[in-house]
Amino acid sequence: MHIQRITTTLLAAAVLTSCDLIDYHPYDVHITGDTDVNAKNIARIEAGCLNKQQVRVAVIGDSHRWYDELKLFVKAINRRDDIDFVIHDGDLSEYGYTQEFLWTRDCLNGLKIPYVALIGNHDCLGTGRDAYRAVFGDTDFSFIAGRIKFVCLNTNALEYDYSDPIPDFKFIESQFTDRADEFDSSVGVMHARPGDDVFNNNVEIVFHRYMTQLPQLMCCINGHGHSLKHDDLMGDGIIYHQTASLDDRLYLLFTFNDDGTYSYEEVAF
Amino acid sequence: MKKLLFNLICIFGTAFATLAHNTGIDFDTIPSDSLQRLIRYERRLTRMQEHWQRLIPSYGKIQYAGNMGFMSVGGGWSYGKNRQWETDLLIGFIPKYESDAAKVTLTLKQNFMPWKWHLNKQVFIEPLACGLYLNTVLHNDFWVRQPDRYPKGYYWFSTRIRTNAYIGQRITVKIPPHKRFFAKSVTLFYEISTCDYYILSHVGNSGYPLHELISLSFGLKMQLF
Repeated sequence: MHIQRITTTLLAAAVLTSCDLIDYHPYDVHITGDTDVNAKNIARIEAGCLNKQQVRVAVIGDSHRWYDELKLFVKAINRRDDIDFVIHDGDLSEYGYTQEFLWTRDCLNGLKIPYVALIGNHDCLGTGRDAYRAVFGDTDFSFIAGRIKFVCLNTNALEYDYSDPIPDFKFIESQFTDRADEFDSSVGVMHARPGDDVFNNNVEIVFHRYMTQLPQLMCCINGHGHSLKHDDLMGDGIIYHQTASLDDRLYLLFTFNDDGTYSYEEVAF
Repeated sequence: MKKLLFNLICIFGTAFATLAHNTGIDFDTIPSDSLQRLIRYERRLTRMQEHWQRLIPSYGKIQYAGNMGFMSVGGGWSYGKNRQWETDLLIGFIPKYESDAAKVTLTLKQNFMPWKWHLNKQVFIEPLACGLYLNTVLHNDFWVRQPDRYPKGYYWFSTRIRTNAYIGQRITVKIPPHKRFFAKSVTLFYEISTCDYYILSHVGNSGYPLHELISLSFGLKMQLF
């Protein structure tokens, strides 16, 4: 009888908690909760920054599996009220398995202000790109905050065949003129920058030349390198600002002005 | 026509029977070394058949969830003094969900049930079942080792093979001999498992609840012999 009671209790406990415990496979792309996150947040960003002369953006990247640090970052941002939105410049996951995207999304959903997240090379592993697409949306996208266009690009060429154009020059070209009357200056955002191991370095110069065709390009922002860097990569005054990995507990805070000038600071959290 | 066919069968039948009688069956007329040879051959044949017979799975199994697919089916072998060891070979499938295609998985699973508690003549409980299993996804987007295009040591882990560990419990009902059809017993079990990724993701992260680390699965085993 004693054994039966133990078994019954264990079984009952198992059944009660089973909803959260049933896992079909790490790479099953079984998405629960919020989807199409970037599009929803972009609507908030564009509405919130409408007619603003100055836009303030906090940028992080390479959070991988540093969830504790990600939560600390969210807390730090929520304590401030002088930032318009957050950009995560890729590597939302370590192994690309589905739950990682959901964890990262759920952490970032704790932000009071909207955010967008780019795809990193780790996010392409296994079914990662499917999970990214389902949770966040297209891997190339753009939005306008104030009178500044943010062009967010998938530059993880090493993770794709040549059948997928990475970076997608057609998309970049479309951004020269798309919604032309709504913006005056541009910012490029990507995970890997020209010269990085996952970038298609056959086109690093071409890519940069294309980017500079964006109306009044102020700077580019990238991740992947896991350390803060501010480099004039091509010697033309366009700086590539590289974010640190999240375990360094640093974010970049940009202030973009509608006259085409900007400044940045490195903030510890 | 029918009669002709019948006659032909009769003729061949008779001829075959005579031939068979003349060559093999009359042991008295066979020289003793030939007889020895025949016995050794029969013994070898029996041994070989016994070896191959061991490959016949002694049970069938179906399992729900557990990081090896939505549902997995397969068979396996019970062995050991008290049949406390088991090896499963399962094939599972992952539904398409938001990905590009449904996927097939293979699982090799080693089980160990150290104790059996008999509740009565028909029912027993295995209070602890534990084991390890390897799961692989049969899909081109997964690799055992990173493809050559990556710099050396870029991704140290395999996206194709997951290592899982579990503990669980089982209850078995024996089927009385006169009621058996295929199975001699039916076992219901549950398992609480974790996989390498889940452990790695939790290292250094304090804030995550237990239910993200562990998974629950259920299954049914039909013991054939």
